[in-house]
Amino acid sequence: MVIHSTKTTICVVPMGRVAEIVPKAIAANILGYLHINTDIVPSLEQPQYAFDESRIQYNAGEILKAFESMPFHNYEKVIGILDLDLFVPIFSYVFGEARQAGKYALVSLYRLQKNLDGSTPSMSLFLERAAKVALHELGHLFNLIHCEDENCLMHFSGGLQDLDNASFYFCRYCSIYVRDALSIDGTKGQNTRLEKDS
Amino acid sequence: MGNKISIMIVDDELIVRESFLHWFEKLGHKVETAASGLEALEKLEKSFFDLLFVDIKMPKMSGIELLGKVKEEYPETIVIIITAYGSIDTAVNAMKMGASDYMLKPFKPEQLNLVMEKVAHQKRLMSEYEYMKGRLDRITHFDNIIGQSAVMKEIFELIPKVAQSDSSVLILGKTGTGKELIAKAIHSKSKQANRPFVAINCGAMPDTLLESELFGYQKGAFTGATHSRKGILEVVSGGTLFLDEVGEISPKMQVDLLRVLEEKKMTRLGDREPIDLDFRLISSTSRDLEREVSEGKFREDFYYRINVIMIHVSPLKERKEDIPLLVQHFLDKYSHETTKKVNHISRDALDLLKAYDWPGNVRELENAIERAVVLSKSRTLASEDFSFLHPSSIRPSGRRTLREIEKDHINFILNDCDWNVTKASVILGINRVTLHKMIKRYKLKRP
Repeated sequence: MVIHSTKTTICVVPMGRVAEIVPKAIAANILGYLHINTDIVPSLEQPQYAFDESRIQYNAGEILKAFESMPFHNYEKVIGILDLDLFVPIFSYVFGEARQAGKYALVSLYRLQKNLDGSTPSMSLFLERAAKVALHELGHLFNLIHCEDENCLMHFSGGLQDLDNASFYFCRYCSIYVRDALSIDGTKGQNTRLEKDS
Repeated sequence: MGNKISIMIVDDELIVRESFLHWFEKLGHKVETAASGLEALEKLEKSFFDLLFVDIKMPKMSGIELLGKVKEEYPETIVIIITAYGSIDTAVNAMKMGASDYMLKPFKPEQLNLVMEKVAHQKRLMSEYEYMKGRLDRITHFDNIIGQSAVMKEIFELIPKVAQSDSSVLILGKTGTGKELIAKAIHSKSKQANRPFVAINCGAMPDTLLESELFGYQKGAFTGATHSRKGILEVVSGGTLFLDEVGEISPKMQVDLLRVLEEKKMTRLGDREPIDLDFRLISSTSRDLEREVSEGKFREDFYYRINVIMIHVSPLKERKEDIPLLVQHFLDKYSHETTKKVNHISRDALDLLKAYDWPGNVRELENAIERAVVLSKSRTLASEDFSFLHPSSIRPSGRRTLREIEKDHINFILNDCDWNVTKASVILGINRVTLHKMIKRYKLKRP
């Protein structure tokens, strides 16, 4: 299968069983905040090859490697969405994973659909969490590093509480880096709405 | 974490190294990896690392063995032990050997973040510890500068104003006038007060030593550089650097320091990586630098760079009204320190002290009071207790040549300092090498 695109865009690709609304919400947020065209492509199969039996989790690094051999040639950046528990070897879990200044990122919904007290979050909160993780990982793809500003989307979120506390905006400095990256990459992002309106 | 740090990951598993590498790239740190203890040691020889993550279980050289070697040769490097097979015994052993933390793989993302915050805190503490233990200077705080003369009151008013700016300060004054006290006072009133104050006497060490002290060096940068060492310019980060006797700095060193002040960057000897610097500079000199600039002996551009704000401290003989206050202060200090209740001075003795010229300024006065207190058998110091003061500074020198007076004075100060050449050179206001030459020239000998 060859995945085609005529424009320079971001690709959002569900992997395995993912509620239809999630990629739509992520794509809408990317378009809304960065004004970058975003395509949602048909779902790929669940990445069973990345399942680690000893940890009963999926290895994010393996999935990112597998992405490299997939035909996403016409997309600048690709974000995979999974409803699976992801890990990297040193961490017990991750909400998302991306290579710094790379092309591919992952967003795991697995730990976003339960609150810390075990209750189920509202749909809007769940979608907000997913979009925050996606925008954060996309930031890494644009070579942004973790930000010290606790209100910035690029601030590191170690747990759900951090993620919920983070605002939906890039700070002033990270906004400048994103704009620079967008103009260098040639990804169309005119009039990007990055910073909080003051 | 504000400052970016250099990290090495030592683990025989590629996926673990890659995992760390990708994570730290997202934090903007400089990261290298090594697949074995030996490879790590090779990299440590070439570059300085702030932090090492070391896996405990590796073939050939274990993490614990590597930890021992690192702590022996690079004590400034922080080591965190990581393992998938934790036991209390190994954790305790690692901590005893100097590991800063012990982490069980896999860890939660926020745990690593907390560890990195702890490392940043530990780095700050280590810098302060190094400086406190006396490698560079003792920790200081604003000690009272004593004085009631108009010139000193003017300085007291100036200090808080100067402290609020970040501009370079040049303090002019003869040896022993309290230039360093003023520098410390400026530091303690400034916003850098809780950061290090590091003083270095530029006249007390040869050029090459001064260079390695200031800039630090990489292991192997020169013969004898058996381990990497941070320079004062790095250690003083965020604080105040006090260059005492800046007039003694060689033209080459002036150029090097000028570049540092302009670019706020430096590289260690034997290294290529530039390091960002952030410090406030206060310098002092007993020399007439303005004249030396006009004579071409001191670089004009460097002079103007260090001389944004100038403070002139008068010699004690020009502010004799300060002497009674200073005498009482030193009497209190030394009667307390020696536990001898010598806390009074006779009018005659005070008159004698006021008549004396004090070529060694406040420092000489302090030494004189200390000596008198130690030797006194009475609660009140009398003029006889100061018979050791150089007579030529009290009485006219008669029809003797300048050479004779110089010889006598040097001999007197040397005897007074028990032939401690460094101490004598400070009182005389000359450097040690010059004093050695004069001892040889006048054929002076220890009695």
